[in-house]
Amino acid sequence: MTYPEPTMINARPTRRFTQFALVALVGLGALSQARPALAQAARDPQAEQFVQTRAQRVITVLADKNQSVAQKKATFHTAIDQLADVPKITNFVLGKYARTITPDQRTRFSTAFRTYAENVYQNRIDDYHGEKLTVTGSTVRKPGDVIVNTTISGGQVGQPLPVAWRVMGGGASWKVVDVQFKGVWLAITQQQDFVSTIDNAGGNIDVLIAQLQRDGQRSVARK
Amino acid sequence: MIGASVKQVSKVSMTEARPAQAQHRAGLASTALGLIAAAGLMAIASPAFAQTAAEPAEASPQDAAPLVDAPPVQDPGLAAYDPLEGFNRASFGVSMGLDRAVVGPIAHGYMAVTPKPVRNRVSSVIYNLGEPSTALNDVLQGHPKRFGVTTSRFVINSTIGLLGLFDVAAGMGLQGHGADFGQTFGRYGVKPGPYLYVPVMGPLSFREGVGRALDFATDPVGIIGGGYTTTFGATRLGVGVVDVRARADGAFRALDDSVDPYVTARSAYGQYRESFLREATGEVQALPDFDDAPSTSSEAPSAVTTSSAAGPQ
Repeated sequence: MTYPEPTMINARPTRRFTQFALVALVGLGALSQARPALAQAARDPQAEQFVQTRAQRVITVLADKNQSVAQKKATFHTAIDQLADVPKITNFVLGKYARTITPDQRTRFSTAFRTYAENVYQNRIDDYHGEKLTVTGSTVRKPGDVIVNTTISGGQVGQPLPVAWRVMGGGASWKVVDVQFKGVWLAITQQQDFVSTIDNAGGNIDVLIAQLQRDGQRSVARK
Repeated sequence: MIGASVKQVSKVSMTEARPAQAQHRAGLASTALGLIAAAGLMAIASPAFAQTAAEPAEASPQDAAPLVDAPPVQDPGLAAYDPLEGFNRASFGVSMGLDRAVVGPIAHGYMAVTPKPVRNRVSSVIYNLGEPSTALNDVLQGHPKRFGVTTSRFVINSTIGLLGLFDVAAGMGLQGHGADFGQTFGRYGVKPGPYLYVPVMGPLSFREGVGRALDFATDPVGIIGGGYTTTFGATRLGVGVVDVRARADGAFRALDDSVDPYVTARSAYGQYRESFLREATGEVQALPDFDDAPSTSSEAPSAVTTSSAAGPQ
């Protein structure tokens, strides 16, 4: 009968660390690599295709160094119409106030929000200087409501940036209703921002409209 | 537990040549400061990188008791629980003022003198130093595979990756992920509790606040490196703060663009932390419907009428 020798137990800490590191490297590392990606619910290739084409276009427009600022702005405006469901988003960001807003206020809000959002998001997407959008998968939440996962890379993006797009529609007709970046949904955040602003103005939606008009201008000025 | 760690940090610093008692007192004072600043940094810094698919949770998170007695909220990321809003708004104002006056300009100076690729290398080094703390939480969460990835990454990137300058491991298919005590608590069903905006430290929930203090107290690199009292620790802290602020510059500009920056920060933070938690639990997010007249706020629409009655006279 043989027993482990005491010297085995007293191996020097550095040596044990090396052994541990090797195990970690070869064993666990390889294991995790071999593990198949989590089985996802059904994917939607058409929704993925839509995001690949339309969202890539928005990024390409903003990354194009040959276009003037005014040209970019105009192209961005068109690209947004093709990419996003603007009326649906406009309604969503009003939250509970979407039920109480007057038709006149809605008209003024829609214009102010569109200008504000375009200025703000053009600046923001510009900040990231991404160039290439790659679809990595999608999840069908329910028919006609799909989350498309992508990464944006190239340009000055260090690590590929995960961005998720919530698209609604069906067949070949899809529109983006929300975009998620680092876990944060833009339309949801916008809704909380707007609803709180109206709440704090005693329910007066005109206060928000006025502020959006001011902020939209400010954002243009800073550009 | 935090007290124990304070002792531990002081003990490490006593190995230096200065008289033990003076060192101890100085150690305690700066420990308090360090706790605030460094822990904050650590928690922000760790989760910002690419994510891996989460392993499904083995334990039912519903079984654990909540840390604080918060009212039931369907998705804490979508409906804020903010009973201290008055204090928080004041605190937010102070912090944003400080940022405009001190931290922001330093970060902008840093961004002006260093090209993005250089800053990315700095971020990599800081991130790599956070990996042991991530590994610790991977274990506590019962995720051996994630632990394996984190450990492998740390070994590979610290050696072949030249002390973390380059994320070689990601190229080998070992994508990094964050993990901290806030996530670990959440993984066992602890609810976020009230939202807190702590001056300098930034947005927190009660859960993340406790988590962040523990992150700092148990950080293996911090313990071995002697905390912030050593040159290494102080440099790591200073560089880390500037690195985090520089990387968050886009977010700061987004806040500037928002109508109510306080609420925007609160909403973004809540969603971000809940999404970070879902990486550990594998849960799917419940999203609001876009087709109905929607509302993610917890208030009933009837409250509008009441509050607007107090408006124009």
